[in-house]
Amino acid sequence: MNCAETIRQIPLYCYGEVSSEVEERIESHLAECAVCSAELTHHRAFLDLLNKREDVTEASMLASCRSELRTAISSQSVPAGQSWLDRKWMDGLRSFSGLHIRFRIPVGAMALVGLGFFAARYTPERFGGMRSGLAEPMFSSVRSVEDQSGKVHIAVDEVRRHVVTGSLQDPRIQELLVTAVREESNPGVRVESIGMLRNSTDSEEVRNALLDALNHDPNPGVRLKAIEGLKSWAGNVAVRRTLANVLLKDDNPGVRVQAIDLLTTHHDDSIVGVLQDVVQKEDNNYIRTRSIKLLEEMKASVGTY
Amino acid sequence: MQDAAETVSAVLAAPLDEAGLIRAAQKGDQDAFERLVRAYDHSVLRIAMNLLRSPEEARDVYQEAFLKVYRNLHAFRFDCSFHTWLYRIVTNICLDHLRRRKVRKEESTVVDTGEGIVDRVAQLEEGAPHANPERQMWNRELAGRIGGALESLTPRERTVFELRHYEGLRLRAIGEMIGTTEEAAKNCLFRATQKMRASLEAFV
Repeated sequence: MNCAETIRQIPLYCYGEVSSEVEERIESHLAECAVCSAELTHHRAFLDLLNKREDVTEASMLASCRSELRTAISSQSVPAGQSWLDRKWMDGLRSFSGLHIRFRIPVGAMALVGLGFFAARYTPERFGGMRSGLAEPMFSSVRSVEDQSGKVHIAVDEVRRHVVTGSLQDPRIQELLVTAVREESNPGVRVESIGMLRNSTDSEEVRNALLDALNHDPNPGVRLKAIEGLKSWAGNVAVRRTLANVLLKDDNPGVRVQAIDLLTTHHDDSIVGVLQDVVQKEDNNYIRTRSIKLLEEMKASVGTY
Repeated sequence: MQDAAETVSAVLAAPLDEAGLIRAAQKGDQDAFERLVRAYDHSVLRIAMNLLRSPEEARDVYQEAFLKVYRNLHAFRFDCSFHTWLYRIVTNICLDHLRRRKVRKEESTVVDTGEGIVDRVAQLEEGAPHANPERQMWNRELAGRIGGALESLTPRERTVFELRHYEGLRLRAIGEMIGTTEEAAKNCLFRATQKMRASLEAFV
Protein backbone atom coordinates (compact mmCIF):
# COMPACT_ATOMS: atom_id res chain seq x y z
CA MET A 1 0.00 0.00 0.00
CA ASN A 2 1.35 3.44 -0.88
CA CYS A 3 1.11 6.69 1.11
CA ALA A 4 -1.87 8.11 -0.80
CA GLU A 5 -3.88 4.96 -0.30
CA THR A 6 -2.92 4.72 3.39
CA ILE A 7 -3.90 8.33 4.08
CA ARG A 8 -7.21 7.76 2.32
CA GLN A 9 -7.90 4.70 4.49
CA ILE A 10 -6.88 6.22 7.84
CA PRO A 11 -10.32 7.63 8.82
CA LEU A 12 -12.01 4.28 8.18
CA TYR A 13 -9.09 2.43 9.82
CA CYS A 14 -9.53 4.49 12.99
CA TYR A 15 -13.21 3.49 13.11
CA GLY A 16 -12.32 -0.17 12.56
CA GLU A 17 -14.26 -0.13 9.30
CA VAL A 18 -11.67 -1.72 7.00
CA SER A 19 -11.28 -5.40 6.25
CA SER A 20 -8.61 -7.34 8.14
CA GLU A 21 -6.61 -7.61 4.94
CA VAL A 22 -6.61 -3.82 4.40
CA GLU A 23 -5.86 -3.33 8.09
CA GLU A 24 -2.74 -5.50 7.82
CA ARG A 25 -1.57 -3.64 4.73
CA ILE A 26 -2.09 -0.27 6.44
CA GLU A 27 -0.21 -1.41 9.52
CA SER A 28 2.75 -2.74 7.58
CA HIS A 29 2.94 0.56 5.66
CA LEU A 30 2.68 2.58 8.88
CA ALA A 31 5.51 0.59 10.41
CA GLU A 32 7.80 1.85 7.65
CA CYS A 33 6.44 5.34 6.92
CA ALA A 34 6.97 8.21 9.37
CA VAL A 35 4.80 10.62 7.32
CA CYS A 36 1.76 8.34 7.40
CA SER A 37 2.32 7.53 11.08
CA ALA A 38 2.29 11.27 11.82
CA GLU A 39 -0.92 11.57 9.83
CA LEU A 40 -2.47 8.77 11.92
CA THR A 41 -1.46 10.56 15.16
CA HIS A 42 -2.92 13.79 13.84
CA HIS A 43 -6.17 12.11 12.85
CA ARG A 44 -6.47 10.49 16.28
CA ALA A 45 -5.99 13.92 17.89
CA PHE A 46 -8.85 15.19 15.70
CA LEU A 47 -11.08 12.31 16.85
CA ASP A 48 -10.16 12.99 20.49
CA LEU A 49 -11.16 16.60 20.01
CA LEU A 50 -14.56 15.52 18.68
CA ASN A 51 -14.99 13.28 21.72
CA LYS A 52 -14.77 16.29 24.01
CA ARG A 53 -18.19 17.47 22.89
CA GLU A 54 -20.57 16.87 25.78
CA ASP A 55 -24.01 15.35 25.78
CA VAL A 56 -26.47 18.24 25.85
CA THR A 57 -29.56 16.21 26.68
CA GLU A 58 -30.58 16.68 30.28
CA ALA A 59 -32.51 14.39 32.57
CA SER A 60 -35.27 16.99 32.91
CA MET A 61 -35.69 17.16 29.14
CA LEU A 62 -35.93 13.38 28.91
CA ALA A 63 -38.47 13.29 31.74
CA SER A 64 -40.67 15.89 30.07
CA CYS A 65 -40.42 14.07 26.71
CA ARG A 66 -41.57 10.85 28.42
CA SER A 67 -44.46 12.61 30.07
CA GLU A 68 -45.57 14.23 26.78
CA LEU A 69 -45.34 10.88 25.04
CA ARG A 70 -47.45 9.21 27.73
CA THR A 71 -50.11 11.90 27.31
CA ALA A 72 -50.06 11.58 23.51
CA ILE A 73 -50.39 7.79 23.72
CA SER A 74 -53.20 7.86 26.24
CA SER A 75 -55.09 10.25 23.96
CA GLN A 76 -54.85 7.66 21.17
CA SER A 77 -57.37 5.55 23.18
CA VAL A 78 -56.67 2.30 21.36
CA PRO A 79 -54.04 -0.28 22.25
CA ALA A 80 -50.90 -0.70 20.18
CA GLY A 81 -52.02 -4.13 19.01
CA GLN A 82 -55.07 -2.76 17.26
CA SER A 83 -54.74 -2.22 13.55
CA TRP A 84 -54.64 1.25 12.08
CA LEU A 85 -57.69 0.31 10.03
CA ASP A 86 -59.68 -0.09 13.26
CA ARG A 87 -58.15 3.09 14.56
CA LYS A 88 -59.25 5.00 11.47
CA TRP A 89 -62.78 3.87 12.15
CA MET A 90 -62.43 5.14 15.70
CA ASP A 91 -61.02 8.41 14.41
CA GLY A 92 -63.92 8.64 12.00
CA LEU A 93 -66.38 8.16 14.83
CA ARG A 94 -64.56 10.73 16.91
CA SER A 95 -64.52 13.26 14.08
CA PHE A 96 -68.27 12.82 13.74
CA SER A 97 -68.70 14.42 17.16
CA GLY A 98 -66.86 17.45 15.80
CA LEU A 99 -69.45 18.05 13.05
CA HIS A 100 -71.71 21.05 13.24
CA ILE A 101 -75.12 20.21 14.72
CA ARG A 102 -76.81 21.19 11.41
CA PHE A 103 -74.98 18.32 9.70
CA ARG A 104 -75.10 15.93 12.63
CA ILE A 105 -78.86 15.48 12.55
CA PRO A 106 -79.26 14.25 8.95
CA VAL A 107 -76.00 12.26 9.10
CA GLY A 108 -77.13 10.70 12.37
CA ALA A 109 -80.51 9.84 10.89
CA MET A 110 -78.85 8.15 7.91
CA ALA A 111 -76.56 6.24 10.25
CA LEU A 112 -79.56 4.95 12.19
CA VAL A 113 -81.24 3.80 8.95
CA GLY A 114 -78.01 2.03 8.00
CA LEU A 115 -77.68 0.51 11.44
CA GLY A 116 -81.25 -0.81 11.23
CA PHE A 117 -80.56 -2.30 7.81
CA PHE A 118 -77.41 -4.07 8.93
CA ALA A 119 -78.94 -5.17 12.23
CA ALA A 120 -81.76 -6.81 10.25
CA ARG A 121 -79.28 -8.56 7.96
CA TYR A 122 -77.18 -9.93 10.77
CA THR A 123 -79.87 -10.76 13.34
CA PRO A 124 -80.30 -14.53 13.58
CA GLU A 125 -83.31 -15.93 11.74
CA ARG A 126 -85.10 -17.04 14.88
CA PHE A 127 -85.35 -13.40 15.91
CA GLY A 128 -87.03 -12.62 12.64
CA GLY A 129 -83.95 -11.19 10.97
CA MET A 130 -82.94 -11.62 7.34
CA ARG A 131 -80.35 -14.36 7.01
CA SER A 132 -77.51 -13.32 4.74
CA GLY A 133 -75.71 -15.92 2.69
CA LEU A 134 -72.77 -13.55 2.48
CA ALA A 135 -72.33 -13.72 6.22
CA GLU A 136 -71.72 -17.47 6.27
CA PRO A 137 -68.37 -18.28 7.85
CA MET A 138 -65.64 -18.91 5.30
CA PHE A 139 -63.33 -20.39 7.84
CA SER A 140 -63.67 -21.21 11.48
CA SER A 141 -61.55 -22.75 14.18
CA VAL A 142 -62.47 -23.81 17.67
CA ARG A 143 -60.37 -22.01 20.28
CA SER A 144 -61.73 -23.66 23.42
CA VAL A 145 -64.48 -25.96 24.69
CA GLU A 146 -65.85 -25.88 28.20
CA ASP A 147 -68.60 -27.76 29.99
CA GLN A 148 -70.23 -25.57 32.62
CA SER A 149 -72.78 -27.71 34.47
CA GLY A 150 -74.23 -29.25 31.36
CA LYS A 151 -73.96 -26.10 29.22
CA VAL A 152 -71.23 -26.34 26.66
CA HIS A 153 -69.33 -23.13 25.81
CA ILE A 154 -67.39 -23.26 22.59
CA ALA A 155 -65.19 -20.32 21.55
CA VAL A 156 -65.01 -20.17 17.76
CA ASP A 157 -62.90 -17.82 15.63
CA GLU A 158 -64.63 -17.16 12.32
CA VAL A 159 -63.64 -15.41 9.15
CA ARG A 160 -66.57 -14.14 7.10
CA ARG A 161 -66.68 -12.60 3.65
CA HIS A 162 -68.75 -9.59 2.81
CA VAL A 163 -68.69 -7.21 -0.11
CA VAL A 164 -67.96 -3.56 0.44
CA THR A 165 -68.94 -1.21 -2.36
CA GLY A 166 -67.96 2.41 -2.80
CA SER A 167 -66.12 4.93 -4.94
CA LEU A 168 -62.34 5.16 -5.13
CA GLN A 169 -62.56 8.45 -3.25
CA ASP A 170 -64.28 6.77 -0.31
CA PRO A 171 -61.68 6.67 2.51
CA ARG A 172 -62.94 3.28 3.68
CA ILE A 173 -62.49 1.82 0.20
CA GLN A 174 -58.99 3.31 0.07
CA GLU A 175 -58.14 1.77 3.43
CA LEU A 176 -59.33 -1.64 2.29
CA LEU A 177 -57.32 -1.30 -0.91
CA VAL A 178 -54.25 -0.40 1.14
CA THR A 179 -54.83 -3.56 3.17
CA ALA A 180 -55.18 -5.50 -0.08
CA VAL A 181 -51.78 -4.19 -1.26
CA ARG A 182 -50.35 -6.19 1.65
CA GLU A 183 -52.45 -9.28 0.94
CA GLU A 184 -49.81 -11.97 0.99
CA SER A 185 -51.52 -14.83 -0.78
CA ASN A 186 -52.66 -13.21 -4.00
CA PRO A 187 -50.32 -11.08 -6.19
CA GLY A 188 -53.22 -10.44 -8.62
CA VAL A 189 -55.15 -8.69 -5.85
CA ARG A 190 -52.06 -6.67 -4.99
CA VAL A 191 -51.50 -5.55 -8.62
CA GLU A 192 -55.17 -4.60 -9.05
CA SER A 193 -55.25 -2.72 -5.75
CA ILE A 194 -52.12 -0.72 -6.57
CA GLY A 195 -53.59 0.12 -9.98
CA MET A 196 -56.73 1.45 -8.32
CA LEU A 197 -54.77 3.47 -5.79
CA ARG A 198 -52.50 5.20 -8.32
CA ASN A 199 -54.60 8.37 -8.26
CA SER A 200 -54.82 8.46 -4.47
CA THR A 201 -51.13 8.85 -3.70
CA ASP A 202 -51.73 12.21 -2.02
CA SER A 203 -52.54 10.11 1.01
CA GLU A 204 -49.46 9.22 3.05
CA GLU A 205 -50.97 5.84 3.98
CA VAL A 206 -51.37 5.00 0.28
CA ARG A 207 -47.83 6.11 -0.52
CA ASN A 208 -46.43 4.10 2.36
CA ALA A 209 -48.28 1.01 1.17
CA LEU A 210 -46.84 1.48 -2.32
CA LEU A 211 -43.35 2.06 -0.93
CA ASP A 212 -43.70 -1.03 1.19
CA ALA A 213 -44.75 -3.04 -1.86
CA LEU A 214 -41.85 -1.64 -3.89
CA ASN A 215 -39.39 -2.51 -1.15
CA HIS A 216 -40.64 -5.89 -0.03
CA ASP A 217 -43.15 -7.48 -2.39
CA PRO A 218 -41.74 -10.78 -3.69
CA ASN A 219 -43.53 -10.39 -7.02
CA PRO A 220 -41.75 -8.15 -9.62
CA GLY A 221 -45.08 -7.37 -11.33
CA VAL A 222 -46.34 -5.87 -8.09
CA ARG A 223 -43.12 -3.90 -7.61
CA LEU A 224 -43.34 -2.51 -11.16
CA LYS A 225 -46.93 -1.49 -10.55
CA ALA A 226 -45.88 0.24 -7.35
CA ILE A 227 -43.20 2.26 -9.23
CA GLU A 228 -45.84 3.28 -11.76
CA GLY A 229 -48.11 4.41 -8.94
CA LEU A 230 -45.34 6.55 -7.43
CA LYS A 231 -44.41 8.35 -10.66
CA SER A 232 -45.80 11.71 -9.62
CA TRP A 233 -43.83 11.52 -6.35
CA ALA A 234 -40.35 11.17 -7.85
CA GLY A 235 -39.17 14.24 -5.91
CA ASN A 236 -40.36 12.97 -2.53
CA VAL A 237 -37.57 12.05 -0.09
CA ALA A 238 -39.06 8.75 1.07
CA VAL A 239 -39.85 7.73 -2.51
CA ARG A 240 -36.32 8.59 -3.65
CA ARG A 241 -34.82 6.66 -0.77
CA THR A 242 -36.85 3.60 -1.67
CA LEU A 243 -36.02 3.92 -5.36
CA ALA A 244 -32.31 4.15 -4.48
CA ASN A 245 -32.65 1.03 -2.37
CA VAL A 246 -34.44 -0.79 -5.18
CA LEU A 247 -31.79 0.31 -7.65
CA LEU A 248 -29.09 -1.19 -5.50
CA LYS A 249 -30.83 -4.29 -4.22
CA ASP A 250 -33.68 -5.44 -6.44
CA ASP A 251 -32.78 -8.63 -8.27
CA ASN A 252 -35.05 -7.88 -11.22
CA PRO A 253 -33.38 -5.74 -13.94
CA GLY A 254 -36.79 -4.56 -15.24
CA VAL A 255 -37.61 -3.12 -11.83
CA ARG A 256 -34.14 -1.54 -11.56
CA VAL A 257 -34.53 0.08 -15.01
CA GLN A 258 -37.86 1.61 -13.98
CA ALA A 259 -36.31 2.72 -10.68
CA ILE A 260 -33.39 4.55 -12.30
CA ASP A 261 -35.67 6.15 -14.91
CA LEU A 262 -37.89 7.56 -12.19
CA LEU A 263 -35.09 8.42 -9.78
CA THR A 264 -33.27 10.47 -12.38
CA THR A 265 -36.22 12.65 -13.34
CA HIS A 266 -34.96 14.82 -10.46
CA HIS A 267 -31.27 15.62 -10.05
CA ASP A 268 -30.04 16.04 -6.51
CA ASP A 269 -26.84 15.33 -4.63
CA SER A 270 -28.38 12.59 -2.55
CA ILE A 271 -28.33 10.18 -5.47
CA VAL A 272 -24.65 10.65 -6.26
CA GLY A 273 -23.46 7.96 -3.83
CA VAL A 274 -26.09 5.54 -5.10
CA LEU A 275 -25.20 6.13 -8.74
CA GLN A 276 -21.51 5.64 -7.94
CA ASP A 277 -22.36 2.34 -6.30
CA VAL A 278 -24.45 1.33 -9.30
CA VAL A 279 -21.54 2.04 -11.64
CA GLN A 280 -19.37 -0.28 -9.53
CA LYS A 281 -21.80 -3.14 -9.10
CA GLU A 282 -24.48 -3.12 -11.78
CA ASP A 283 -24.40 -5.91 -14.41
CA ASN A 284 -27.00 -4.33 -16.65
CA ASN A 285 -25.37 -2.17 -19.33
CA TYR A 286 -28.32 0.19 -19.75
CA ILE A 287 -28.46 0.99 -16.04
CA ARG A 288 -24.69 1.37 -15.74
CA THR A 289 -24.42 3.63 -18.78
CA ARG A 290 -27.33 5.71 -17.61
CA SER A 291 -25.74 6.11 -14.17
CA ILE A 292 -22.40 7.21 -15.68
CA LYS A 293 -24.17 9.71 -17.94
CA LEU A 294 -26.10 11.15 -15.03
CA LEU A 295 -23.03 11.45 -12.83
CA GLU A 296 -21.29 13.30 -15.64
CA GLU A 297 -24.28 15.59 -16.11
CA MET A 298 -24.23 16.31 -12.38
CA LYS A 299 -20.47 16.94 -12.61
CA ALA A 300 -19.90 14.22 -10.00
CA SER A 301 -17.07 11.74 -9.95
CA VAL A 302 -17.90 8.41 -11.59
CA GLY A 303 -15.63 6.42 -9.27
CA THR A 304 -15.86 6.05 -5.53
CA TYR A 305 -13.19 6.46 -2.88
CA MET B 1 -18.67 11.06 24.26
CA GLN B 2 -17.31 7.57 24.20
CA ASP B 3 -19.89 7.01 26.94
CA ALA B 4 -22.64 7.54 24.40
CA ALA B 5 -21.35 4.75 22.21
CA GLU B 6 -20.98 2.55 25.25
CA THR B 7 -24.55 3.34 26.31
CA VAL B 8 -25.86 2.29 22.91
CA SER B 9 -23.79 -0.88 22.96
CA ALA B 10 -24.94 -1.59 26.51
CA VAL B 11 -28.56 -1.12 25.54
CA LEU B 12 -28.12 -3.35 22.53
CA ALA B 13 -26.47 -6.03 24.63
CA ALA B 14 -28.74 -5.69 27.67
CA PRO B 15 -30.26 -8.92 28.92
CA LEU B 16 -33.71 -7.52 28.24
CA ASP B 17 -36.24 -9.93 26.82
CA GLU B 18 -36.78 -7.54 23.98
CA ALA B 19 -38.69 -9.93 21.76
CA GLY B 20 -40.99 -10.76 24.69
CA LEU B 21 -41.55 -7.06 25.37
CA ILE B 22 -42.28 -6.36 21.71
CA ARG B 23 -44.79 -9.22 21.53
CA ALA B 24 -46.47 -8.05 24.72
CA ALA B 25 -46.60 -4.47 23.43
CA GLN B 26 -48.02 -5.72 20.14
CA LYS B 27 -50.88 -7.23 22.15
CA GLY B 28 -51.52 -3.86 23.76
CA ASP B 29 -49.48 -4.16 26.97
CA GLN B 30 -48.70 -0.52 27.81
CA ASP B 31 -46.10 -1.37 30.47
CA ALA B 32 -44.15 -3.44 27.97
CA PHE B 33 -44.29 -0.56 25.49
CA GLU B 34 -43.05 1.87 28.14
CA ARG B 35 -40.14 -0.43 29.01
CA LEU B 36 -39.20 -0.57 25.34
CA VAL B 37 -39.31 3.23 25.15
CA ARG B 38 -37.15 3.57 28.25
CA ALA B 39 -34.56 1.16 26.88
CA TYR B 40 -33.91 3.42 23.91
CA ASP B 41 -35.29 6.87 24.50
CA HIS B 42 -32.17 8.50 25.88
CA SER B 43 -30.27 7.47 22.75
CA VAL B 44 -33.14 8.65 20.55
CA LEU B 45 -33.24 12.06 22.19
CA ARG B 46 -29.45 12.40 22.06
CA ILE B 47 -29.33 11.52 18.35
CA ALA B 48 -32.11 13.99 17.58
CA MET B 49 -30.51 16.70 19.69
CA ASN B 50 -27.05 16.21 18.20
CA LEU B 51 -28.32 16.05 14.65
CA LEU B 52 -30.73 18.94 14.83
CA ARG B 53 -29.13 21.11 17.53
CA SER B 54 -32.58 22.30 18.52
CA PRO B 55 -34.31 21.18 21.73
CA GLU B 56 -37.75 21.91 20.27
CA GLU B 57 -37.12 19.85 17.16
CA ALA B 58 -35.48 17.08 19.19
CA ARG B 59 -38.61 16.86 21.35
CA ASP B 60 -40.75 16.70 18.20
CA VAL B 61 -38.58 13.93 16.78
CA TYR B 62 -38.76 11.99 20.06
CA GLN B 63 -42.53 12.19 20.12
CA GLU B 64 -43.04 11.55 16.40
CA ALA B 65 -40.68 8.57 16.43
CA PHE B 66 -42.22 6.80 19.41
CA LEU B 67 -45.76 7.51 18.24
CA LYS B 68 -44.82 5.98 14.89
CA VAL B 69 -43.45 2.96 16.74
CA TYR B 70 -46.63 2.75 18.82
CA ARG B 71 -48.87 2.94 15.76
CA ASN B 72 -46.88 0.51 13.65
CA LEU B 73 -45.58 -1.95 16.20
CA HIS B 74 -48.32 -4.41 15.26
CA ALA B 75 -46.71 -4.60 11.79
CA PHE B 76 -43.19 -5.22 13.14
CA ARG B 77 -42.30 -8.73 11.97
CA PHE B 78 -38.80 -9.16 13.43
CA ASP B 79 -37.30 -8.96 9.90
CA CYS B 80 -34.61 -6.75 11.41
CA SER B 81 -33.65 -5.95 14.97
CA PHE B 82 -35.91 -3.56 16.87
CA HIS B 83 -33.13 -1.02 17.37
CA THR B 84 -32.41 -0.94 13.62
CA TRP B 85 -36.11 -0.38 12.97
CA LEU B 86 -36.37 2.32 15.63
CA TYR B 87 -33.20 4.12 14.58
CA ARG B 88 -34.34 3.97 10.96
CA ILE B 89 -37.50 5.78 11.99
CA VAL B 90 -35.54 8.32 14.05
CA THR B 91 -32.89 9.01 11.41
CA ASN B 92 -35.51 9.36 8.69
CA ILE B 93 -37.45 11.90 10.74
CA CYS B 94 -34.22 13.78 11.52
CA LEU B 95 -33.18 13.71 7.86
CA ASP B 96 -36.58 15.13 6.90
CA HIS B 97 -36.13 17.92 9.44
CA LEU B 98 -32.63 18.69 8.17
CA ARG B 99 -33.75 18.71 4.54
CA ARG B 100 -36.76 20.88 5.27
CA ARG B 101 -34.48 23.21 7.17
CA LYS B 102 -32.14 23.34 4.18
CA VAL B 103 -35.03 24.16 1.84
CA ARG B 104 -36.40 26.82 4.19
CA LYS B 105 -32.86 28.04 4.93
CA GLU B 106 -33.78 28.23 8.60
CA GLU B 107 -31.70 30.14 11.04
CA SER B 108 -28.65 28.19 12.13
CA THR B 109 -28.18 27.21 15.77
CA VAL B 110 -24.57 28.22 15.34
CA VAL B 111 -24.00 31.96 15.34
CA ASP B 112 -20.92 34.11 15.01
CA THR B 113 -21.10 36.61 17.87
CA GLY B 114 -18.06 38.56 16.71
CA GLU B 115 -16.15 37.16 19.70
CA GLY B 116 -16.24 33.66 18.39
CA ILE B 117 -18.66 31.06 17.07
CA VAL B 118 -21.28 29.94 19.54
CA ASP B 119 -23.73 27.06 19.34
CA ARG B 120 -26.94 28.21 20.99
CA VAL B 121 -27.72 24.64 22.01
CA ALA B 122 -24.53 24.50 24.04
CA GLN B 123 -25.87 27.47 26.01
CA LEU B 124 -28.39 25.08 27.51
CA GLU B 125 -25.69 23.83 29.85
CA GLU B 126 -25.25 27.29 31.29
CA GLY B 127 -28.01 26.81 33.82
CA ALA B 128 -26.46 23.67 35.29
CA PRO B 129 -25.51 24.60 38.89
CA HIS B 130 -22.57 22.18 39.13
CA ALA B 131 -20.72 23.50 36.10
CA ASN B 132 -17.30 25.12 36.26
CA PRO B 133 -17.29 28.51 34.39
CA GLU B 134 -13.98 27.91 32.56
CA ARG B 135 -14.99 24.45 31.52
CA GLN B 136 -18.36 25.81 30.41
CA MET B 137 -16.66 28.41 28.24
CA TRP B 138 -14.38 25.79 26.66
CA ASN B 139 -17.32 23.46 26.09
CA ARG B 140 -19.34 26.23 24.49
CA GLU B 141 -16.51 27.24 22.22
CA LEU B 142 -15.78 23.66 21.22
CA ALA B 143 -19.45 22.79 20.77
CA GLY B 144 -19.79 25.93 18.64
CA ARG B 145 -16.90 24.91 16.42
CA ILE B 146 -18.06 21.33 16.12
CA GLY B 147 -21.63 22.50 15.50
CA GLY B 148 -20.36 24.85 12.77
CA ALA B 149 -18.34 22.05 11.19
CA LEU B 150 -21.35 19.70 11.28
CA GLU B 151 -23.46 22.29 9.52
CA SER B 152 -21.09 22.19 6.57
CA LEU B 153 -22.09 18.56 5.99
CA THR B 154 -25.03 17.40 3.91
CA PRO B 155 -27.92 15.95 5.97
CA ARG B 156 -26.89 12.44 4.95
CA GLU B 157 -23.20 12.96 5.77
CA ARG B 158 -24.14 14.48 9.10
CA THR B 159 -26.38 11.56 9.98
CA VAL B 160 -23.78 8.95 9.05
CA PHE B 161 -21.10 10.86 10.96
CA GLU B 162 -23.21 11.27 14.10
CA LEU B 163 -24.28 7.64 14.13
CA ARG B 164 -20.76 6.32 13.50
CA HIS B 165 -18.69 8.68 15.58
CA TYR B 166 -20.97 9.61 18.46
CA GLU B 167 -23.30 6.63 18.66
CA GLY B 168 -20.70 4.01 17.79
CA LEU B 169 -22.92 2.17 15.31
CA ARG B 170 -21.35 0.09 12.56
CA LEU B 171 -21.51 1.38 8.99
CA ARG B 172 -23.39 -1.72 7.86
CA ALA B 173 -26.17 -0.98 10.38
CA ILE B 174 -26.15 2.72 9.48
CA GLY B 175 -26.51 1.85 5.79
CA GLU B 176 -29.49 -0.33 6.67
CA MET B 177 -31.04 2.49 8.67
CA ILE B 178 -30.73 5.17 6.04
CA GLY B 179 -31.57 2.83 3.18
CA THR B 180 -28.21 2.55 1.50
CA THR B 181 -25.30 0.15 1.23
CA GLU B 182 -22.39 -0.18 3.61
CA GLU B 183 -20.13 1.04 0.80
CA ALA B 184 -22.18 4.19 0.24
CA ALA B 185 -22.23 4.84 4.00
CA LYS B 186 -18.43 4.41 3.98
CA ASN B 187 -18.07 7.02 1.23
CA CYS B 188 -20.35 9.32 3.15
CA LEU B 189 -18.32 8.93 6.35
CA PHE B 190 -15.12 9.56 4.45
CA ARG B 191 -16.45 12.80 2.94
CA ALA B 192 -17.82 13.88 6.33
CA THR B 193 -14.54 13.33 8.20
CA GLN B 194 -12.62 15.19 5.48
CA LYS B 195 -14.93 18.19 5.79
CA MET B 196 -14.94 18.08 9.59
CA ARG B 197 -11.18 17.94 9.75
CA ALA B 198 -10.84 20.81 7.34
CA SER B 199 -13.20 22.91 9.50
CA LEU B 200 -11.54 22.02 12.81
CA GLU B 201 -7.91 21.90 11.71
CA ALA B 202 -6.99 24.95 13.75
CA PHE B 203 -8.14 23.24 16.97
CA VAL B 204 -6.27 19.97 16.49
